[in-house]
Amino acid sequence: MASRDRVRFNIGGQLFETTSTTLANAGRESMLGALLDESWNPGQPEYFIDRNPACFSTLLDLLRTGALHIPSNVPEKLLYREALYYGLLDHVRGAKWGPFDGNTLRLADSVPGRAPGDGTAIRGAPDGGCCVAHGSVVHVYNWMLEERRPISLDYQQVNDVGYIDANSIVITARERLGKGDGGMAVFSAATGELRHRFRVEHGRQPKSFTAGALSLAGLDDHRIFSSCKGRLNEYGIGVWDHNTGQQVDFFYEHPGCSLGDADKLQWLPSKNCLMVATLFPRTDNCFIGLLDLRDKSIPWCWSDAGITMNLEDKRVLHAIAMEDGHSICVINQYDDLGFIDLRAGNTNSAGTGVRWSSRSKLMNQKAPYEESCYPKLATHNGQLFSCMNDSISVFSGSEHVLTSTLRRSYGGSICDFSIGGDRLFALHNEENVFDVWDSPPCPII
Amino acid sequence: MNAQSQSQSQSQRRKNFKIEAFKHKVELDPKYAERTWKVLEHAIHEIYNNNASRLSFEELYRSAYNMVLHKYGDKLYSGLVATMTAHLNKIAKSVESAQGGLFLEKLNHKWADHNKALQMIRDILMYMDRSYVPTSHKTPVHELGLNLWRDHIIHSPNIQARLQDTLLDLVQRERTGDVINRGLMRNITKMLMDLGSSVYQDDFEKPFLDVSASFYSGESQQFIECCDCGSYLKKAERRLNEEIERVSHYLDAKTEVKITSAVEREMIANHMQRLVHMDNSGLVNMLIDDKYDDLSRMYSLFKRVPDGLSTIRDVMTSYLRERGRVLVTDTERLKDPVEFVQCLLNEKDKHDKIISTAFNNDKTFQNALNSSFEYFINLNNRSPESISLYLDDKLRKGLKGASEEEVEVVLDKVMMLFRYLQEKDVFEKYYKQHLAKRLLSGKTVSDDAERSMIVKLKTECGYQFTSKLEGMFTDMKTSEDTMLDFYAKQSAELGDGPTLAVQILTTGSWPTQPTAACNLPPEILTVCEKFRTYYLGTHSGRRLTWQTNMGTADIKATFGKGHKHELNVSTYQMCVLMLFNSADGLTYREIEQATEIPALDLKRCLQSLACVKGKNVLRKEPMSKDISEEDVFYFNDKFTSKFVKVKIGTVVAQKESEPEKQEMRQRVEEDRKPQIEAAIVRIMKSRRVLDHNSIVAEVTKQLQSRFLPNPVVIKKRIESLIEREFLERDKADRKLYRYLA
Repeated sequence: MASRDRVRFNIGGQLFETTSTTLANAGRESMLGALLDESWNPGQPEYFIDRNPACFSTLLDLLRTGALHIPSNVPEKLLYREALYYGLLDHVRGAKWGPFDGNTLRLADSVPGRAPGDGTAIRGAPDGGCCVAHGSVVHVYNWMLEERRPISLDYQQVNDVGYIDANSIVITARERLGKGDGGMAVFSAATGELRHRFRVEHGRQPKSFTAGALSLAGLDDHRIFSSCKGRLNEYGIGVWDHNTGQQVDFFYEHPGCSLGDADKLQWLPSKNCLMVATLFPRTDNCFIGLLDLRDKSIPWCWSDAGITMNLEDKRVLHAIAMEDGHSICVINQYDDLGFIDLRAGNTNSAGTGVRWSSRSKLMNQKAPYEESCYPKLATHNGQLFSCMNDSISVFSGSEHVLTSTLRRSYGGSICDFSIGGDRLFALHNEENVFDVWDSPPCPII
Repeated sequence: MNAQSQSQSQSQRRKNFKIEAFKHKVELDPKYAERTWKVLEHAIHEIYNNNASRLSFEELYRSAYNMVLHKYGDKLYSGLVATMTAHLNKIAKSVESAQGGLFLEKLNHKWADHNKALQMIRDILMYMDRSYVPTSHKTPVHELGLNLWRDHIIHSPNIQARLQDTLLDLVQRERTGDVINRGLMRNITKMLMDLGSSVYQDDFEKPFLDVSASFYSGESQQFIECCDCGSYLKKAERRLNEEIERVSHYLDAKTEVKITSAVEREMIANHMQRLVHMDNSGLVNMLIDDKYDDLSRMYSLFKRVPDGLSTIRDVMTSYLRERGRVLVTDTERLKDPVEFVQCLLNEKDKHDKIISTAFNNDKTFQNALNSSFEYFINLNNRSPESISLYLDDKLRKGLKGASEEEVEVVLDKVMMLFRYLQEKDVFEKYYKQHLAKRLLSGKTVSDDAERSMIVKLKTECGYQFTSKLEGMFTDMKTSEDTMLDFYAKQSAELGDGPTLAVQILTTGSWPTQPTAACNLPPEILTVCEKFRTYYLGTHSGRRLTWQTNMGTADIKATFGKGHKHELNVSTYQMCVLMLFNSADGLTYREIEQATEIPALDLKRCLQSLACVKGKNVLRKEPMSKDISEEDVFYFNDKFTSKFVKVKIGTVVAQKESEPEKQEMRQRVEEDRKPQIEAAIVRIMKSRRVLDHNSIVAEVTKQLQSRFLPNPVVIKKRIESLIEREFLERDKADRKLYRYLA
């Protein structure tokens, strides 16, 4: 019985012996799974495969233990290529890094940019790849951090990017006056090809537009939202279905609420509302509102109009709705976190109601210098992340205590960061280099 | 040595130095691609011909890998499509040529082969599937194989219609009783599902549903003409179960709702009215005959269709209402209130059982039953009295020997009826009266049962409703204690005079009427006076009034030939009989003068003493049933009875006489007035301003647990309150009333 379970391989001249039980870990949908399947006369004394033995050794070890250990003499890219041959690339990816936890992050890689200067945005893909918007081009990286074909939407200034799934990237871009281009479109992440261009109609007339901030509703909800500016004061929030590619709604801007210029959109499933934040310096007065698309109302909004007089006053520079849907977290130029309660009703119109957390020691640390980037916020599994200058702070627990700081001295301050595919990506301003942080797989003991 | 070798190698290098054209990539020999494809094409042929045992998977996989790696993915892919298409066209021919019943077998067989081949082809081309297919927007191999099968086999003009007809024909044959190969059917429908839900739906499900609908439309028409309701429902149920079973055996699970709804529509929904109203076998007949099985079947089948249950419910409700209306207006039946209430209870039990056994205890059916009872019980304004009389009967004697649980069951059932009553205050009046009689005459069978009933009423209507009833019980207990004390203290003085048992009734708790006391015989009067002195001595500030109309007496009488009897009589009768101690014959007028008993009571009393056979301790002249003022009464010396103790009841109808009824009504109406007024004042106190209709609505709501106030009466009470300046009309809007603090 034991000998029947045993399998001998000759890989590029080197002999390996393993068991069919170990090979079963590869799954039927792999080359090794098919090789041993009964439809292909199995039970041969020895299987010869004309491939690299060192890589096979590493992959066999992965199948035996579930853990990935790459010897120093095996280049990572070579291993990936071999894994693709055997159909084990997903096994390798799954073993490379563990479940995301802001407090165990390690620097996995630093990828230099192609040109210095301001990057616009970085987004993590669901499979651990990422894309970087830089000027009028979006650079796409797969999870092995190999660059794919860059994408551009008519070579217009890219405003925002997002992943619909690991293979589909949606891009919003500025409209060029006099031409029907710009707007919003979906591209293949693998090939960079244009898949679909989203249209906006006003009064049944298709119109060109500038698309700004993006948000995707979620897993089962196929809606995609973007702030839009049309030529004839057609400002507001466009809504499309990314399955059908059709426009499904348009929320026209109410007077006094700036929607077409929004910096941040976020769909809140628990409230069935879209959070829209338009912030300094795009506008003088920060506006945050919840939009109910069903009846085109704004059931809740907040503005700091009237309380910020000069540049030294605390200004809300970024906002994110917390995952529980009970409050919105904001950040100011002194790196203070603040919370606005969403349950309090629409009583905050005078701009009060932000509960600033006292981080005075940071406040006194240094005045924001000229070249710094505006801070950004993100949430993931109950943890809150903020970037300020060249570091990212991780806050944990219901009280949002600072538990970790991620800092790299290279590349200048961080202009954007994103969490996706169990990885955190941070884009630096000066060198356009981005860092990849992930949590190690579970320890051996 | 060193220098020499160096120069040598340099000269060699120089000699061999050659500039080659710069190559972007090492291109593979184009013939290599063609050759590799031939190998793979051959392998695909061998796989389709079940000849794969000589193929080397590793070699084939490597070949396909190399083709993709060297950018021959297009060639590989298009080659695959062409080769597979060619094979499928051959298969189509072979399936088409299959004769009759072998057609499905052949198709199934070929499908299994194709799947196996497809799996192996996919194994070889796995690398292409992973790297070439996603980046060039091609269909993955497995899906491609299914699509080609769909297009070249299933949708081939010679197969498509034949397949559909064959499948539908098999289903039809199974419906008419044939046994078919369900395994084969299962495989074929599974194939259609594997090809995509739209293939299954378009090529099988839709025509299947159409054919089924017309089949059941015809069959139901045929059944309804020749079956009674019960057997029709049995057939429908069987058909429905057959279809559900069919789905579980060889159709997609999602088809179940669709086919059952088709059967439901054709067999039930379309014939619903006709079924429930079917002559001699419809719903009403089932209810009358307690056909639990049929009713249960009707319930579960009708539940499946829209408006099904409401159809049953409506018919049941109108049947119940009509039946109840007949019952409560049947004057013959009403003559015996006990039997009448028993009849209601039986009716309730019967339908409760139907609802619990056949209608799944459906709340909406229970509600329908309740509302029907509420409707017809209140059609008759004697219902409160009848229910109280029924209870009186049960608590008086009916429950003797019954266990505590049985008592509870009876009481609970009566409470159900009580709940239906709108005029609960009328019931209370009667109940109080009947309870008083039971308590005072010592006729109640069980104190526990009485108290249990009070508790139930209290739970149902609140403390206020029963406080007076409870007061009656307290009085009874206190009286007992008082009498013990009285005799303990006074026994020496009393000697051997008549024994007095006094029940002290609190005014207001009891249904007493202010009647003038009659003249008591002197023997009694002495004791009574002693008791009065005793009682007022221990309880200062009270007033005692004798209710001679409510008492009883045990007297010893000696008749001719020394026959001794103990007579149990009322106080009035005792007073009359005592007169005959000193006279043998008395006229009506003499008796009336001596006793001062009210005429109506006296007549009744004399009637029971002189006119009831076996109890006629007096003799009347002239002999007749009725008492007239000219009658003369004699002591009946010839009275005999086989009992020592003779109970002489008062001739009194258990039911009220017409004038009493009128009086009761009037008292009820009178009692309602302050309650309505109190409700109006309560409401206005909290609302301050309210219009007329709202007041009427609120008052009705507040009082409906006791009775249903008449809007006209409410209006009168409002007017009275305005007169007494509790309310005023709004000056601007006359419909509005204001509360005056």
